[in-house]
Amino acid sequence: MTSGAAGRPRLALAGALGLLAGAGLLGILVGGVHLSLPALWSGAGAEGEAARLVASIRLPRVALAALVGAALSLSGAAMQALLKNPLADPFLLGTSGGAAAGAALASLAGISPLLSPAAAFAGAAASSVAVAALARRGGRLDLQRLLLSGLIANAFFSALLLGVFSVASASAARTMLFWMMGSLADASFGKVVALLPWAAAGAAVLLLYAARLNLLAVGEDSAAALGVDTERAKRQVFVAASLLTGAAVAFAGIIGFVGLLVPHAVRAVAGNDQRRLLPICAVSGAALLVAADALSRAVFAPAELPIGAVTATVGAPLFAWMLLREP
Amino acid sequence: MSPDASSGTPRIETRGLRALYGRTEALSGLDARIPAGEIVAILGENGSGKSTLLKVLARIRPPSGGEILLDGAPLLSQPRRETARRVAYVPQSVELVFPIRALDLVLQGRAPHARGFSADSPEDRARALDAMKACDVLDLAERDASALSGGETRRVFLARAVAQEAEIWLLDEPTAGLDPRHRLEFLDVLRRRHLESRRTVLLVTHEVDLAARIADGVLLLRRGRTLASGPPDAVLTVDNLRRAFDVEFREGPAGLQAAALPDRPPVVR
Amino acid sequence: MALAPNLTEIAFAVGAGDRLIAVSNFSDYPPEARRLPRVGGLDASAEAIVALHPDLVLASRDGNPRGAVQALEAAGVPVLAVSGESLDAVLAGIRQVGERLGRGEEAGRLAEDLARRREDVRHRVAGRPKTAALLLVWPDPPQAAGAGTFLADVLEEAGARNLAAGRGGWPVLSAEFLATADVSVLVVPDSADARPAFDKARASGALSRGAAAAARVVRIPDDELSRPGPRVFDALETLAKKLHPEAWNKETAE
Repeated sequence: MTSGAAGRPRLALAGALGLLAGAGLLGILVGGVHLSLPALWSGAGAEGEAARLVASIRLPRVALAALVGAALSLSGAAMQALLKNPLADPFLLGTSGGAAAGAALASLAGISPLLSPAAAFAGAAASSVAVAALARRGGRLDLQRLLLSGLIANAFFSALLLGVFSVASASAARTMLFWMMGSLADASFGKVVALLPWAAAGAAVLLLYAARLNLLAVGEDSAAALGVDTERAKRQVFVAASLLTGAAVAFAGIIGFVGLLVPHAVRAVAGNDQRRLLPICAVSGAALLVAADALSRAVFAPAELPIGAVTATVGAPLFAWMLLREP
Repeated sequence: MSPDASSGTPRIETRGLRALYGRTEALSGLDARIPAGEIVAILGENGSGKSTLLKVLARIRPPSGGEILLDGAPLLSQPRRETARRVAYVPQSVELVFPIRALDLVLQGRAPHARGFSADSPEDRARALDAMKACDVLDLAERDASALSGGETRRVFLARAVAQEAEIWLLDEPTAGLDPRHRLEFLDVLRRRHLESRRTVLLVTHEVDLAARIADGVLLLRRGRTLASGPPDAVLTVDNLRRAFDVEFREGPAGLQAAALPDRPPVVR
Repeated sequence: MALAPNLTEIAFAVGAGDRLIAVSNFSDYPPEARRLPRVGGLDASAEAIVALHPDLVLASRDGNPRGAVQALEAAGVPVLAVSGESLDAVLAGIRQVGERLGRGEEAGRLAEDLARRREDVRHRVAGRPKTAALLLVWPDPPQAAGAGTFLADVLEEAGARNLAAGRGGWPVLSAEFLATADVSVLVVPDSADARPAFDKARASGALSRGAAAAARVVRIPDDELSRPGPRVFDALETLAKKLHPEAWNKETAE
């Protein structure tokens, strides 16, 4: 790769923070209704009122987008390091399927939509536990089997979801479909506050294990020989990543590409040292999703695109371009 | 730091060591005594348990029975990090999927000494660079280790072990797959490092002539147990080798060489 | 065989209800339709249909997936695809179905009658100030009737200005638009399913802030509103009366 494998982490972090700030501003000002900073700050009368109203609707969205973007990027980075696979993403191990199934079953059972995030989270947790259990071999967490059991889990949940869809009423199906495509509509500070502890916990564990992840990324054997309790490390990283993914999906539906693209891009710029990569991924992911959210509201205003559609539409060609550039 | 060489306590001792590889028993009651400060070659055919022995000693795999003593004390009762400060393991092959700076790879060797496994201090850096110099890979420090040749990578991993400041080295087939020049370079570095600090080196190989030339002692394994151990001349007899490898060995211009399979007429040289 | 509820209603309305051998899942009007065997929802399976050997299948051009329709045609089953994308199309569709089922006269009379009622409504609301309105077919996510849909026609001909006319089809509106747009009336379908969903959206969802929260809500029975068939003209009248009640006050009771 280019300028040595160490990259330019400090510059990258500064850049990412800048991007986040810019995206945040964009997220608040841009949308179907365009606001300007002066109007927001000191606007009087009806116009000022309207501006503040819109900002009050957008602000929790921006906050939620930032949190979800950070969570998904962190989870993706951790997955890529753990599975030693640059194409891993947070949904590889069945969490998205489990979350979707949890939410779908809950709405089918007539459970209040308010509890939907909890149901999704429960589904994601159940899926992760099952996947990990399937991947145990001789008391150890076998990473190859983990990948396979994740695939099986996703296939299973897809089938389950199709079943639920065919039985559900048209209206319930429509709501579920939109949620599954990823949506930050109905964002509220309540949701942000609910998501925060989970995201923070997952992030904290990953950062704690960052150095150990570096060692694991070279090889399980050599990491063990350097004194790392590899089983514990694998388990903790897996749990933390699942936590981050499950929580993100519970509150925002399934938003693809962020967890795959951001770690990839950051690694190309800043190197693969997890101690630097993880925080930069978190900030970059937040910036990316906030920008995507602004886009989803602005492009076809007053209509709103599901954010999963935006990340896929922008993400797929971007990813293809990155792959083509690699030597 | 100096090992207990003079008294009778061996550096490493195993008694009746058993270990599994998957479902099969790779070590079936292995007894061994490794004296301090020697280069010991561990020989045996594929499946004889050589690599598993190394992995168990490095605490990569747990044993399923028997005892291991490190300087007279049970190995497994030590905290893992403690062991890692004294025992360094150089794997046979490593797949580096992601780019990593060679210097960072060597710095990882400092992990057992660092807080939270994160070796970052200037002192760590200095030791890592010294280690790379000692292993003739200093010029590779800023390069991407995943793009280096096999020989260069092996020496970088050796530098990692040097940076680890461990007194005991476990090398798993360090010369496998290397062309003659890289092989010589590696062995040269190894010998110099060993002489400099009188480390105890355990070297797994199936190259009999290598063992004959470089080792102070040989441990010959067969089916998970010790067949013979001691100085090379004593262990590397045609009889022993036949029992270990199922192949006739003959003296040739380059030392003992596998000559023929038992049920075929020997090759005339 | 009718593959959509509106087509079932049209068939019965032109007096050809006895010719129906099966209908789609949600065809519940008129009551006689409930006794007919079901053949699936808007995405009915082609095999199930072919197995019943119909002489004609009535399909909805916007509701039934094109692939299924093509599969039926490939299997040699005659299909009449009826469009429901505007009120004119609905009237044309009634005539078409009538023709094919040999009830051309009745269909013609029905269409004329409906057209007359439509004219009457247009006449009464003409010249009156148009209320800024949105017709939301569902609150979560908030999906509105955009330009080029039969419901947009209903909204406009009932004397309102469709704020979602800037987009075609069925756009999902953003919460910020709903909060700040100049909307005075929200027209929503009323049904056992829809009511709690709308109430929730009003209380804490996309309709809970700003203009959307303050707007007047007009509920029209879901069955009338969501099917491009004869009853949508009932919806048209109901809506117009609610939006411009003065236009009917002058009439003496009949």
